Amino acid sequence: MEFRTVVLSYPPDRESLERFLGERGLSLDPDIDYAVACYDGAEIVGAGALSGYVLKDIAVAVEAEGAGVASAIVSHLLAEEGRRGLSHLFVFTRPAAEATFVSLGFTVVARVPQRVVLLENREEGIEQYIAALGSERTTVPGISGSIVVNCNPFTLGHRYLIETAARECEVVHVFVVDEERSLFPADVRFRLVQEGVAGLGNVEVHHGDKYIISAATFPSYFLKEPSEVVATHALLDLTIFGGRIAPALGITRRFVGEEPYCEVTGTYNQIMQQLLPDFGIEVTVIPRLERENAAISASTVRNAIRDDNLDLVRSLVPPSTYEFLISEEAMPIVRRIKTVNSRH
Amino acid sequence: MKIERTGMAGSLESSDVLVTIDPNVGRGVEVVLKSIAESRFGKQIRLLIEETLSELEVVEARVQVEDRSALDCTIKARLVTAIHRAAKMSHPDWEHLS
Amino acid sequence: MKTLRRTMLYVPGNRAAMVKDAHIYRPDTLMFDLEDGVPYPEKDSARMLVYYALRTIEYGDVETAVRINGLDTPYGRDDIEAIVRAKPDLIRIPKTDSADSVREVEQIIEEVERKIGLAVGTIKLFAAIETPLGVMNAPEIARASARLVGIALGAEDLVTNLGTTRSEDGIELLYARSRILFAARAAGIHAIDTVYSDVCNDEGFIAETRLIKQLGFDGKSVVQPHQIDMAHKIFTPTVEEVRNAERTLTALHAAEERGSGVIALDGKMIDKPMVTRARRILELALASGVEANKELL
Repeated sequence: MEFRTVVLSYPPDRESLERFLGERGLSLDPDIDYAVACYDGAEIVGAGALSGYVLKDIAVAVEAEGAGVASAIVSHLLAEEGRRGLSHLFVFTRPAAEATFVSLGFTVVARVPQRVVLLENREEGIEQYIAALGSERTTVPGISGSIVVNCNPFTLGHRYLIETAARECEVVHVFVVDEERSLFPADVRFRLVQEGVAGLGNVEVHHGDKYIISAATFPSYFLKEPSEVVATHALLDLTIFGGRIAPALGITRRFVGEEPYCEVTGTYNQIMQQLLPDFGIEVTVIPRLERENAAISASTVRNAIRDDNLDLVRSLVPPSTYEFLISEEAMPIVRRIKTVNSRH
Repeated sequence: MKIERTGMAGSLESSDVLVTIDPNVGRGVEVVLKSIAESRFGKQIRLLIEETLSELEVVEARVQVEDRSALDCTIKARLVTAIHRAAKMSHPDWEHLS
Repeated sequence: MKTLRRTMLYVPGNRAAMVKDAHIYRPDTLMFDLEDGVPYPEKDSARMLVYYALRTIEYGDVETAVRINGLDTPYGRDDIEAIVRAKPDLIRIPKTDSADSVREVEQIIEEVERKIGLAVGTIKLFAAIETPLGVMNAPEIARASARLVGIALGAEDLVTNLGTTRSEDGIELLYARSRILFAARAAGIHAIDTVYSDVCNDEGFIAETRLIKQLGFDGKSVVQPHQIDMAHKIFTPTVEEVRNAERTLTALHAAEERGSGVIALDGKMIDKPMVTRARRILELALASGVEANKELL
């Protein structure tokens, strides 16, 4: 048995891996940045891959089961993560593999029956995240609402959404996506949200960490994927939100802006409206704030930045965001926006 | 030794341990041990971990140990390696390693 | 000193299960590998594992050896620094091209022995010859150090260097094997053959081991435990060989008791090579479980 790195950019390597996975009903996720295959002679008998801190696409041939191939593959992937300095890791896999990963020391975070199970390598990972959210606030009388945002960057559209929610709730919990897959770095996005809601007294801003719209819970957000996969990811993310996070904070409402542009977000919102009521959470869709008959969105702002149209930018974002955009700190980001052609 | 970054060593294979060490600023030493042999050897393993951390003067760290029925010498070896990797020390002080 | 090295079993230095258990397969020598059997990112981890294993685990009467990385790599020096402190019986030098390579390693080993208060010369050496230059320098390499107890052929890279591939009958290795063997015998040390890496081909392994035994090699490097028994069987002397050896040694002892200077048997002198050979056969017999008279050794 021999382990070889799969050189993803070398077609014969990649195709062998895709074939092996395909035979087992799996496909190679487009966001994979590292993969390893276990060979018995010329045959692949096991394989596994990584995307950031998430282990996925792990499969072992039936003939090789029980031969320690699974633990060897996972060990390889964990060692690679260790070299990258990542220690809080997740596994995204099929329900049938849950027992294997539990025996390798992983703990289940959430399950979508018949579709997927998400595990992490810390026994109290999600518990610690939830505890850090400060659940003393569950005793707030009245309605606790929630919004999940990326804010790339924070716009008047976001502000409008949050204000609307804040009017209807005792407190609104705003969760900011933490994944570094957007043109604006996560810490900047978070800060702009905090600054943007500063005047509102009943808004709490939280990090989404790895448990809300993350590479672990909803990778589709960052990729173009077939809708079947998007649906599975959405179910997972919302199961975690509805089943673990919302109850800890006493959340019974979730607000979301209408999504006219993005298909992935559109699908997610649809599923959210179907699923969250099962957790006792009412979903409210708020029409987007418009300016000149166009919904204000972060991508509109980024396009305006790209076009150096500062007047347009100023009309779309609150002063706190605008001040940042013209500051020196924002220069590398502005440069990146102008050169990169990215959805995010 | 100061823990500067994540350090990992070992594997999940049978008879091995997977040790993950993370910085733990302001929180001292935290040890999370997962072992099938917890009831029989848990105490012994924890003692070994504590002794090793103390020997290498590690006062702040989050240490996660995934034990797959490893011998003490294996646990020690993987722990010492992970600590050095986390402390970015490529040359151990052999004179003072017991 | 160890006299039998019929098998030297490679143990990848980073595999915890193998490092702790491999001696149960009873090779004559266990070779913990820090070199080609360990991926680059794990060199430090393997070194530490082997270090602690050697200091803790009781390997019994199985000889322990460690194959270090070459001094031309970033790892070699650290390997020596660590491993000498773990006190294996042998350190094996990879890709030895010249006598100087041996001396350079020896110098560092001596430094560390002094540092830790170990008698200089305690750790013995083995040199692996894996290049055409090394083969040509075999006689000098074999005499390069008092610590050197054997030289071994490493054929995998050598064959590529020669511009050919390994064949079933191994004709391409004939010169390398012969030269290494002759160099070893001239220097009075052991000669060990290369690994047979097709672990599913037992017939091929047996054929090759028979060949190298016939050439005069003392033993073979093995990578799988099941190859150990096969090799040991091949190195087992026949009953006739054992009887002849016993006869020779009996004649020798009788002559010594009588105080005779020159010892003759069947009209020929019993010279030193004959005696060495007879003793070796007896040792092989005893190790293989063949009946032999231990008193004669």
